Amino acid sequence: MSSNMKILVVDDFSTMRRIVKGLLNELGYSDITEADDGNTALPLLKNGAFDFLITDWNMPGMPGLDLLKAVRADAKLGKLPVLMLTAEAKREQIIEAAQAGVSGYVIKPFTAATLKEKIDKILASKAAA
Amino acid sequence: MSQSDSLSARYRSQVAELTGALDANDEAAFRSAFERLRAQLNVEFNPELKRITADAQSALRRFREQARLEVLADQEVPDARRRLAHVVKLTEEAAHRTLDLVDQSTPLIDRMSLEAAQLLEEWGLHGSRQLAVATLWPERAYESLERAVRDAERVRRFLSQMLLAQGYQDLSGQIINAVIRLVTELEMVLGQLVVLAHGEDTRRMPALKLEEMQAAASEFSRGVGPQVPGTASGEALGSQEDIDALIASVAAGN
Repeated sequence: MSSNMKILVVDDFSTMRRIVKGLLNELGYSDITEADDGNTALPLLKNGAFDFLITDWNMPGMPGLDLLKAVRADAKLGKLPVLMLTAEAKREQIIEAAQAGVSGYVIKPFTAATLKEKIDKILASKAAA
Repeated sequence: MSQSDSLSARYRSQVAELTGALDANDEAAFRSAFERLRAQLNVEFNPELKRITADAQSALRRFREQARLEVLADQEVPDARRRLAHVVKLTEEAAHRTLDLVDQSTPLIDRMSLEAAQLLEEWGLHGSRQLAVATLWPERAYESLERAVRDAERVRRFLSQMLLAQGYQDLSGQIINAVIRLVTELEMVLGQLVVLAHGEDTRRMPALKLEEMQAAASEFSRGVGPQVPGTASGEALGSQEDIDALIASVAAGN
């Protein structure tokens, strides 16, 4: 699946969306769609057959944690791999995200190697499941 | 003289007059006794009331005369909010400009690298580097092409790092946006204070929704933004390794 994967990148900052998209391109992923918060992301996810979701946490409208919960609560999207890419680093937030079913959690600022490692790890565990 | 004696001395006869008038059902006498009692109470309490009222009026006047407050409310705090928003816009534009340049540079360096590699490959078709140098190109050109391939790879890595470095705009933007929300709240509070100081009717003003704003700001799911050294932002994990370990421990517990 990997390089043909359809990925949705959700972040309210357009610069960060471009950065993530650029890094994903370098990693060989080219089918990338962008959304600026959970409210715009959720309809795209429901109608778009995405393989992977990368989302920020702190966004106006619907924040990333609520988007994650909505995805996990949706029968069709429930098993979608969700990588949270965020500056939120408080212990209770990370525990909350883990309990909500996040597949991976990368803290900003991050490196290209960390992003690649987390995506690879999530895809490997999905393939093994 | 105790307080009760004093109270008795001052009011017993007047209360007796009121009671007598009530018993006699004498309205005129009752009203007259009541007026005397009220006058007595006014004499006793008025000085204190006057002092409190004068203090309040004086405080209000001083508050009103604080032109600084109005300048802050009308001009400087809104300006501060606009300045911060402008900083976010400028940094966003600068980050996008840098990303544009990275986007434009990447295919150029890719092409340079590809062409150099192709030339080196064609050279290899002549059997050996020595032969190629002897028949086609000077040694210096060969080395230059090899260096171009190596340097192109390094430049590609630098461009990738430049791309990532623009992430500062997201982090600084989140921090500044949090300050903008605080300044906006301060602006509303100052505006209300100025209106109150002028004794204007505040009922027509939009209600201050401080509680709502605070509730929204503290709402867990909304997040708190990037950690800032020296601020009260709670217990944060410092490294990706710590986060990975915490995620793994929660997953293991589920």
